[in-house]
Amino acid sequence: MQPKHKILVIDDEEVVLDSCTQVLDGGDCRVTTASNGAEGLRRLEEVQPDLIFLDLKMPGLSGLEVLERIRAKQPLMVVIVITGYATVSSAVEAMKKGAFDFLPKPFTPEELRLIAKRGLEYSRLVQQTVALRREKETLRENFAAIVSHELKSPLGALQQNLYALVGELEDKLSEEQQQRFVRLQTRLDDLLKLIHSWLRVFSMDINGLKENFKPTSVAEIVAKAVETVQPQATRKALEIETAVGEGLPPVNGDEGSLTEVLVNLLGNAVKYSFPNSKIRVRAEARNSEIVVSVADTGVGIAQEDLPHLFQDFARGQAQPEGVSGCGLGLAISRRIAEVHGGTITVESKPGKGSTFMLHLPVAQGATQSGTTPQHKV
Amino acid sequence: MSEPKQLLIIDDDPDFVAGLKSILLKAKYAVDVAYNPKDGLQALRNKAYDLLLLDVMMGRGAEGIMIARKLGKDPKLRSLPVLIITGIREQMAFLFPGQAVHPHFVEVDELVEKPVAPKLLLEKVAGLLKTAETRKAAAK
Repeated sequence: MQPKHKILVIDDEEVVLDSCTQVLDGGDCRVTTASNGAEGLRRLEEVQPDLIFLDLKMPGLSGLEVLERIRAKQPLMVVIVITGYATVSSAVEAMKKGAFDFLPKPFTPEELRLIAKRGLEYSRLVQQTVALRREKETLRENFAAIVSHELKSPLGALQQNLYALVGELEDKLSEEQQQRFVRLQTRLDDLLKLIHSWLRVFSMDINGLKENFKPTSVAEIVAKAVETVQPQATRKALEIETAVGEGLPPVNGDEGSLTEVLVNLLGNAVKYSFPNSKIRVRAEARNSEIVVSVADTGVGIAQEDLPHLFQDFARGQAQPEGVSGCGLGLAISRRIAEVHGGTITVESKPGKGSTFMLHLPVAQGATQSGTTPQHKV
Repeated sequence: MSEPKQLLIIDDDPDFVAGLKSILLKAKYAVDVAYNPKDGLQALRNKAYDLLLLDVMMGRGAEGIMIARKLGKDPKLRSLPVLIITGIREQMAFLFPGQAVHPHFVEVDELVEKPVAPKLLLEKVAGLLKTAETRKAAAK
């Protein structure tokens, strides 16, 4: 039978190696020994132990050095150091370097058994955590594929048939029936969009955005976002007023996702504004950050809704008629802001309107006095 | 009137195919369907088609991609225009990390997402057929 636990003991004193073997070996434990640091490091590779006992005071490679090398190679390895009675201070040093615990010499078999048991238990937890983390990662990676196939395929087939049926029945459907088909298609479209948002929340590796960070002009992302939202605004006769400070330093970030944040904020402003009103977009430098604010004079947000605003699927109480959405926009926006080292804050009064502010740190090395070209909006 | 263009759909979802086919028939295309990759390849070898509509996610994975790769290597089928139909764009990026979202497998291909609005579908099909014809004429 394969032993469940593998323990490596590294000590130059033969009596310690022998007693450890005698006490711990057998049952579900297998003990391997090494009589100096170099041999210990070799055994580490061969045996892949769950737990290491390491003497701190050895000729040749010192225990602390061996500990450092073990941790460099295998940061999660559980190491218990064995110390002479008079050298508790070196045990503290070892704990600082990542040892799990220390065992002062001389020790009784009972003490050894107890500390080994604790060490193995901790090792099992560490290994479990690693396995769980890996599983979670795989799940996240596969989620996109699974959800898309299982949910999107049937909906896609439905929608495709609605498209086709409208064509096939063109001259047989009454006006009212055609309208119903259109509404069905819209509902399905919303559902498909919702699934898309879900996928983004759950499967997007948001930290991966960092790989593409580069100095990004705030004026440009503001202009792009306003352009995207303009058609919706025009439909509600809303005016979007933009004021971008001149010579704003760039931020370090991903242009696409930052634009997405502003589109979300602007989209909300449009959604919750009363027709014929104004939305103000400002971008300015404040100390070492850039603040882009989007202010509307719409329905506003109730005080009790404010704390939940940036959570997944949060939607406020004050929903004007005909407003649809899944409550993921702000949650995604917050995540994107955070990955940029920034935040989103909000001030709001019911009935008066809301102001959302995206705070972003200024790119390092950039100064306000214009190392960057000025952008016209 | 000229002969209708011959299209082949390879897709394992009969419901989706029904919706797709109806739109294409209404636009006066001749449409054959294969519901799995094997039948699809067989059909391509037996008959000369003007265009292939190919689903990416079939069976246990991206079997559509395997077909596209096979076509790309086949000297006779390489010039067949292909409209790749995919569940979602991210899925393509997911399958080809680090690559452009629209990988080219054959000389003329395009990519659309499911579901495809009729207008977009017909535009893409007509566009691909035209591009393929232009290429053929230029090659002569």
